[in-house]
Amino acid sequence: MSSLAELQELIERKYGIAPAQLDPQGSMRGSGIDSLALVEFIFEVEERFGITLQSNPDVDTLAELAQLIDEQRAAKAASGATNAASEA
Amino acid sequence: MIAVTGLGLQSPHGEDPQAVFEALCRGESAVHEVFAGELPRPAAAATVAFDETRWFTKLQLAGVDRVSQLAVAAADLAMRDAALPEGSDPARIGVFVGCGMGGGAAIEHAYRAGMAGGRVPPLTIPAFMPNAPAAHVAMRHRAQGPVLSYAVACASSAVAIGEALHALNRGEIDLALAGGSEALIVPGVVAAWQAMQTLADFAPDTPGAAARACRPFAADRCGFVLGEGAAFLVLEREAQARTRGARVHGRLLGYGTSCDAAHLTKPDAAGQARALAAALHMAGLQPRDVGYCNAHGTATRIGDLVEAQALAAVWGSALPHLRVSSTKALHGHLLGAAGALEAIVTLLALQQQRLPPNMHGDAAEPQCALNLVRAADIAAPGLQAAVSSSFAFGGTNAVLVFGPA
Repeated sequence: MSSLAELQELIERKYGIAPAQLDPQGSMRGSGIDSLALVEFIFEVEERFGITLQSNPDVDTLAELAQLIDEQRAAKAASGATNAASEA
Repeated sequence: MIAVTGLGLQSPHGEDPQAVFEALCRGESAVHEVFAGELPRPAAAATVAFDETRWFTKLQLAGVDRVSQLAVAAADLAMRDAALPEGSDPARIGVFVGCGMGGGAAIEHAYRAGMAGGRVPPLTIPAFMPNAPAAHVAMRHRAQGPVLSYAVACASSAVAIGEALHALNRGEIDLALAGGSEALIVPGVVAAWQAMQTLADFAPDTPGAAARACRPFAADRCGFVLGEGAAFLVLEREAQARTRGARVHGRLLGYGTSCDAAHLTKPDAAGQARALAAALHMAGLQPRDVGYCNAHGTATRIGDLVEAQALAAVWGSALPHLRVSSTKALHGHLLGAAGALEAIVTLLALQQQRLPPNMHGDAAEPQCALNLVRAADIAAPGLQAAVSSSFAFGGTNAVLVFGPA
């Protein structure tokens, strides 16, 4: 499971930047997503995926951000599974 | 002497200063009903048809409230109008911005989201802080000198322009981008103004009632209507403007400020008169030299009476020669941006030798013995000086004096 495609779709909708215009391995800051825009974008990401990232995550590329989200979603799914098992 | 070499607007009547002036001269009101059915009482305001995508990419809009967007747009138009040469020393450029409250939309959205149990957007603070407009303007034009914000309620941008004048005269800067911005047409702020009992009432079902709700100096006046927008002037010393062959719109001759120090919201004629007299003194003018006053004229019951008393106190026997109008009847009260918009209107009156009429006051208040500009008689041949007055909650008064180019 990768959140990259969903992130790309969110960026296109929110900022009008098409997936082809933003190299997942390139620096987001270099593409004009400065620290303030990133803070706002991460807020949107948290709302969208129902997760909580640290307030200033150490990520510079979209691929890194996607990986961080993947990990959070996996952890959330695992804890959900554990809870379900303990309730059973 | 200080020359005005650039004008920029985002106003309820549009962004082209000449077209805005013509609309005002025709007596066209930009006021309309807002938030119909959303608020306890009918509300009217003059809003700006604004396309932020001309100045910002979607990425750049992160944490930028409408008040800053309007400021950036108006300041950019003023700078383009000034057509400055490349290579100005950025440390010698100052930005002086009046703003009454800051980003009303950002703070209202944050409160609504937070109170409803949702999350508050992370950039709420930088979006609503009152000095955000000035900061955004400075970043856009790489202005690295004094970048200052003035929160002096309804006098904010008149004070900003006046303080820019002083900084230029002191030689601290070579160029000033001075003006103001306000964008408070959001339900919470409009409701707060309604609660203050200073807004005009109107019958929402009557066509045209909102448009003529604000009636300055009229016997049946009942308060003002809110407006939004931004207005900026580029100011420089006349010698520099002449050397670089700049087009000069007019000259800023004087600035006077004072504080009533008497009451938080009730105006005081003596305080206003001190600001008027100080502005004339700095300009080196006598009352009889001034042919037009763009009045503060908020159309409140007491405000117009006090302003008329202050003008009478300073002008004395010359009062009949001073023609007066309040254009707030047409563009609403832009609060922190009012002084800057009205400064531009005043400059254009000098340039065009025509005066925007005092509208909606067919039955004038008998206690205001003013020579109000009538719609049928707006020509002002020989007009050599004009004043623009701004009197604030908090008691601070600011008066600007302009002359032709």
